Amino acid sequence: MPETRVLLEHAEDPKLRTIDGYRGHGGYASLEKAYRQMEPDEVLKELEDSGLRGRGGAGFAMGKKASFLPRGDMAKYLCCNADESEPGAFKDRELMQRNPHQLIEGIAIAARAAGAGHAFIFIRGEYDLQADILDEAVAEAYEAGFLGANILGSHCDLELVVHRGAGAYICGEETALLDALEGKRGNPRLKPPFPAVQGLYGGPTLINNVETLSNVPHIVGKGAEWFRGFGTEQSPGTKVVSVSGRVKRPGNYEVELGIPTRELICDLAGGPLNGCELKAFYPGGSSSPVLTAEEGLDLPYSFEAMAEAGSMLGSGSIIVADHTVSIPHMALRTARFYHHESCGKCTPCREGTNWTVKMLERVVRGEATPMDLDIVASVQENIIGNCLCVLGDSMAMPVGAMVRKFRDEFERTIAEASGSLAEPERIAAVQAPPEAIGTMP
Amino acid sequence: MSDLPPQGLPVDPAVDRGRAPERSAQEIPELHEVGCPDELREEIEERMSRYPDRKSASIPALWAVQRRYGWCTPEGIRQAAAVMRVTPAYLESVASFYDLLHTSPVGEHQVHVCTNISCWMRGADELLEAFAEAAGCDPHEARHGALSADGKVFLSGFECLGACDIAPMASIDERYFGPLEEGDAARAVEQLVAGQDVLPEKALAKRGLAGDA
Amino acid sequence: MSKGREVTIVVDGREVSAVEGEMLHDAATRGDVEIPVFCYEPKLGDPVGACRMCLVEIEGIPKLQTSCSTPVRDGMVVHTRTEQVKEAQNAVVEFLLVNHPLDCPVCDKGGECPLQDITMGWGPGKSRFTDPKRHFEKPLPLSPLVAIDRERCILCYRCVRFSQEVAEDSQLQLLERGDRTYVGTFDERPYVAPFHGNITDICPVGALTNYTYRFRARPWDVEEAGSVCTLCPSQCNVSFTVRDEQVKRVIARDNEEVDDGWLCDRGRYGFEMFGAEERVTGPQLRGGAEAGWEEAIAKAAEGLRAAGAASAAIVGDASNEEGYLVQRLLRQALGSPHVESRRAGGPSRETLLRLALPELALRTRDIDEADAILVVGTDPLHEMSILDLRIRKAIRRNGARLVVATDRPTALDGGAAAVHRYAPGDAASVFSELAESDVLREAEKVAIVWGERLGREDEATLHALLDLAETLGLAGNDGSGLLEVPELANGRGLREAGCLPDAGPGLTLAPFGRISRPNGASMGKTTEEIRAALESGELKSLILFGADPLRDFPDTAAWERALTAAEHVVVFSMFENGTTAKADVVFPLETHAEKDGTVTHPDGRLQRVRPSAARPGDIRPNYGVLAELSLALGHDTGVTSQPSAFAALANEVPFYSGIDDSVITGRGIRWQDLNAAKVEKASGAGSPDTERGAPGGSTESGDAARGVASADPAPDASPASGLTLGTYRDLWAGPITELNPPLKFLQPQQRVEVSPADAERLGLSSGDAVRVSQNGSSIEARAEIKERVQQGVCFLIEGVGDANANELLNGGPVEVEIRKVES
Ligand SMILES: Cc1cc2nc3c(=O)[nH]c(=O)nc-3n(C[C@H](O)[C@H](O)[C@H](O)COP(=O)(O)O)c2cc1C
Ligand code: SF4
Ligand code: FES
Repeated sequence: MPETRVLLEHAEDPKLRTIDGYRGHGGYASLEKAYRQMEPDEVLKELEDSGLRGRGGAGFAMGKKASFLPRGDMAKYLCCNADESEPGAFKDRELMQRNPHQLIEGIAIAARAAGAGHAFIFIRGEYDLQADILDEAVAEAYEAGFLGANILGSHCDLELVVHRGAGAYICGEETALLDALEGKRGNPRLKPPFPAVQGLYGGPTLINNVETLSNVPHIVGKGAEWFRGFGTEQSPGTKVVSVSGRVKRPGNYEVELGIPTRELICDLAGGPLNGCELKAFYPGGSSSPVLTAEEGLDLPYSFEAMAEAGSMLGSGSIIVADHTVSIPHMALRTARFYHHESCGKCTPCREGTNWTVKMLERVVRGEATPMDLDIVASVQENIIGNCLCVLGDSMAMPVGAMVRKFRDEFERTIAEASGSLAEPERIAAVQAPPEAIGTMP
Repeated sequence: MSDLPPQGLPVDPAVDRGRAPERSAQEIPELHEVGCPDELREEIEERMSRYPDRKSASIPALWAVQRRYGWCTPEGIRQAAAVMRVTPAYLESVASFYDLLHTSPVGEHQVHVCTNISCWMRGADELLEAFAEAAGCDPHEARHGALSADGKVFLSGFECLGACDIAPMASIDERYFGPLEEGDAARAVEQLVAGQDVLPEKALAKRGLAGDA
Repeated sequence: MSKGREVTIVVDGREVSAVEGEMLHDAATRGDVEIPVFCYEPKLGDPVGACRMCLVEIEGIPKLQTSCSTPVRDGMVVHTRTEQVKEAQNAVVEFLLVNHPLDCPVCDKGGECPLQDITMGWGPGKSRFTDPKRHFEKPLPLSPLVAIDRERCILCYRCVRFSQEVAEDSQLQLLERGDRTYVGTFDERPYVAPFHGNITDICPVGALTNYTYRFRARPWDVEEAGSVCTLCPSQCNVSFTVRDEQVKRVIARDNEEVDDGWLCDRGRYGFEMFGAEERVTGPQLRGGAEAGWEEAIAKAAEGLRAAGAASAAIVGDASNEEGYLVQRLLRQALGSPHVESRRAGGPSRETLLRLALPELALRTRDIDEADAILVVGTDPLHEMSILDLRIRKAIRRNGARLVVATDRPTALDGGAAAVHRYAPGDAASVFSELAESDVLREAEKVAIVWGERLGREDEATLHALLDLAETLGLAGNDGSGLLEVPELANGRGLREAGCLPDAGPGLTLAPFGRISRPNGASMGKTTEEIRAALESGELKSLILFGADPLRDFPDTAAWERALTAAEHVVVFSMFENGTTAKADVVFPLETHAEKDGTVTHPDGRLQRVRPSAARPGDIRPNYGVLAELSLALGHDTGVTSQPSAFAALANEVPFYSGIDDSVITGRGIRWQDLNAAKVEKASGAGSPDTERGAPGGSTESGDAARGVASADPAPDASPASGLTLGTYRDLWAGPITELNPPLKFLQPQQRVEVSPADAERLGLSSGDAVRVSQNGSSIEARAEIKERVQQGVCFLIEGVGDANANELLNGGPVEVEIRKVES
């Protein structure tokens, strides 16, 4: 099964990164169309009609979100979410590195639809190479008159700033991103008010993922109908899927939404490593409840099918575990990530992630009892729905699912580890010294 | 400090050093007090000019401080605070929130080894240990950050760096390399310290698309 | 506040009426449904929804919502006691205790701790957490006054929000992230800022405690006594925590009309000076010799009787009753009109009356709703601290636009839409600019906060202020008006009690003097005139009641001479000082924790100071001492108690009539709200006093009469010569830091603030030791370069123990030379 490349078309061409290379492949024609031949409302309508769903995690209809921004000439903003920090996700990196102008063009067109005069690309601080590439591309786009004042004589202005983050997963959460962009600690805000009404600097703000915005030039160029020709009714279009973990060919693959998940994992990514057996996978990044191989392999890879199966498509990142992978250890890694990344603002997430890590550490050390597993499960329940943003839930859902679906393995792990307590090396291999975790300098 | 009733008032070392109220952390320092190098001031001012609100430049300003001094030193933070007209406490608070901004000294070079799920499944713990051995620092400490024996390399386990396709991987002086084998660690550290190009054949920048391989 | 419409919601089956847009938590509370909260504190601004304690179920919304941040809508149906809500509450309490040490038996907060109470009321009863908790070194000094125990902290954000959104000092911050987050300061430096003590009031756990209160008492063996702080004109409402008749702590006693529930650190920690070694605890005779009351009163009376009408009195720190009794003693017992309560200068009765017109009066609370605020001639932070917070609040939350017009840069400049600077002594020049200010002209409601110090300049300055008020149409415009920042804590009350040379109680024409003029007014001497007359021998005797000229008045050397020349000096003082050393008789004063009386807030609010603590030593109520002294001089005041003293005062002040304890209550009463008409009657009485610079009269002769050197900032003097000296009273200058062990670290060292340009011209760097001299007198100081100080001027602090700027002043602005001294 081959890929269906729209966003990654020509991505093998190293010149694509430059404005000339991009234009050589027809780039910026959509921008010219949007600015010269279309009114903002027409652009917005095309986006709404396309049914494009957000590629950053929540899958909210992009055009609809843009239509929530109030009309009028107050200052409005567009933020491109390039924070991509969820374990398993690396598609935005690929899109920015190989085709930065596609994103810039998408931003400029979306800004026209939303009436935004100022746009920002919030890129995670670790993506230094990609930030440099974007900086260069933005300079080229200004030079060519696709950004700046009075774009193509439309009397529309757009300033675009590449803003490097500094290392905090939470800044991917859209309201935390706004705080970070305002120069504060990246703490999520209470919603409502939603960013579309009151976002950056208190102004209406449209926030979209890199991949979402990279789709925009194609939709405006070729039309909503063309776009809907890909994917399913509820999940139109193609998706760049990051596949990683215990597979032969980890990487980004662009496919039509709705293809069988098995094709992604077993064909495109080459399937399990030699001599290994698939066990489970996260279908949509580390925040999605894991599916066992039996549950998940034959599901269509679409927003609706994953939701129905009790998980989610999320950012479209598959992490594959085979039979060599210990689920309790994987749960611990997952929990540690969210514990480390919790911003600390709200109680259930801050304390719940910390508590979960401590319990799971006891599990893998064999210092827990099956009753502790009940507490682990109950703590996840106590987190879900009670937090300020969904970071807490993002740990509680996968960890809860793992305890539920692999209870036996957890109990076996406890038993085995407690039997082998005498072997200090083995313990060292799986545990960090307790004082290194959760305590302060 | 014991939890007994204090005899009189505690002696705060900072107060002993004669910090009158206005010398406290309170004030936004004035530029003439902080000796901010011109290039740093200009860079921060240029950054501030890009945003509708100058405070948005706090992360870029801290990056500039870190590039100049190796980490976000108290002096550097005060300089940035004076340029930005915010309190140093504000900037320190921001800096300490983010993993890539350091509020204590780190080495000249930085190696972040991803130890998150996908990399862990493909040998990240072992890779981190190999780096620790190569750099001569304690592997347990390295999980949360440790300096090499010669003080030149700061090695740290890291959460997902967004490169699970090249697992196990590391970010070395802000550029990505992978997939790495344990043997690569020693070579990378050597090259770093010698000022050479690090693991050129493993650079992410040079890879093609997975589907084209 | 623009109130939303009335709506009805249903909470736990009960109908509750609410205002649309108000937070659900507040509406429920009014309906007697208690919803537990930790992070929610409306005083701190917008809710943050962080602790998640207040989750409730709202019909129609699947997820639980935080009631602290959910605005009510009509018809909302809310449940706070369902299974789902209880589970969430249990969960949040259990999470909060994950890292809380539960060391309640040794915690100062024990017994008054919201975490304890909520755990009991809403928690699961037991915690399933068995892993190690996070550890911090504890307790650590967050400042020399506040200890922080980070293990107890539940990261509710209150303290840091106070620092960022109320005090706006932005010193207290959260550091690190996630469960590693802790509350701290830049570079671990102490949190030193004038309002920082408030964080100990708002912390819902024992994480922030006062060193001054640590282990001093437990909630069950203390009493709370409500009173008013009279350490500055803010007159914040306080509650004294008293044990064994001694004050152990001062906390805020929320009065939205006065203090908004905040205290400055002077008010909070100042009480430690009540027990200072320097405290005068009984009558003394010359040389500090202790004396019995009878002997001291006889001695005082003897000297005063001898001087008779050649006596004068200056009142400083005093209640209304005390001020009233002093002026009565002077006017009726001694037949002298020479009563003052102002340190320097001050306008005539007519101008005062115009400034006090009820239709021009601003309520403190009006600032919250003002569209524009003008701060002129004062830095509220230093002179009336709590006002600084209120002005910040108006800007931050109500979008008020601020205009600052001062000689010295103020703490509020950063938030101002416009800043006007004038040379020291030349405030008059700024009013023409202000009259053109778009910010002020475009605003509907304008609050003008002005400093009494403007009155140290000639009277024209205050007329310019009145003209500005007229230009802006402030009179009768509800929500607009003038609010004075007096120099004395009870400056307004003392003037209304009759401590003025040209006006008796109620600002009536002074009726009591024997030296009366045809219109029945008596003409007393001003402060400067009293000083000159003592020196020349025209006046022979002086009563100083809570006034310390050697520290607080301009021209220290002249005051030294005057006190030396005086034949008889009677000083009422709280502490021994340079002035008491020159006294023939010293009487002890009560502190505001001991005193029984009333004070009048700058906005006209009469407030009650109640005795809360025992008077140390042999101290007697001051009103009684004054009544006795009067009696010894042959005048029976009939005053035997505080109520009788107040009744006598109210009897003479038309606009205080009908006011007594039952009207004042715990919150105070603005006389304008009760007796507005009566001041006009008073102002109508008598004709303008032409001799004392009446409105439109010749100000020059007024100045000459008062012996005030005319203001001449000499801006065009050759730039190489000296700088014009401005002075200000620093918040921390005076006995408050010098005699108060916990506040000693705040004692300001004299420094001269100069602009960068002048510093360069004079070859100065910050920290250099310099000598600042003027016409023979000089003081030593450190140079401090300040970007916002104008070129050509410099500033020194008044009232510090060493190198007091008052030594260089002689009534008007002066030129000083600054020279570096090699150390
Ligand atoms: C904890 C957390 C982290 C997130 N990280 C990202 C991210 O790195 N990139 C991203 O695009 N969206 C991320 N999201 C989703 C954003 O909040 C937001 O929904 C998204 O940027 C909207 O863009 P879209 O509609 O185009 O997907 C995150 C959400 C949460 C709760
Ligand atoms: S110290 Fe107190 S007020 Fe501050 S965050 Fe902690 S619990 Fe809240
Ligand atoms: S798990 Fe290592 S880069 Fe993602």
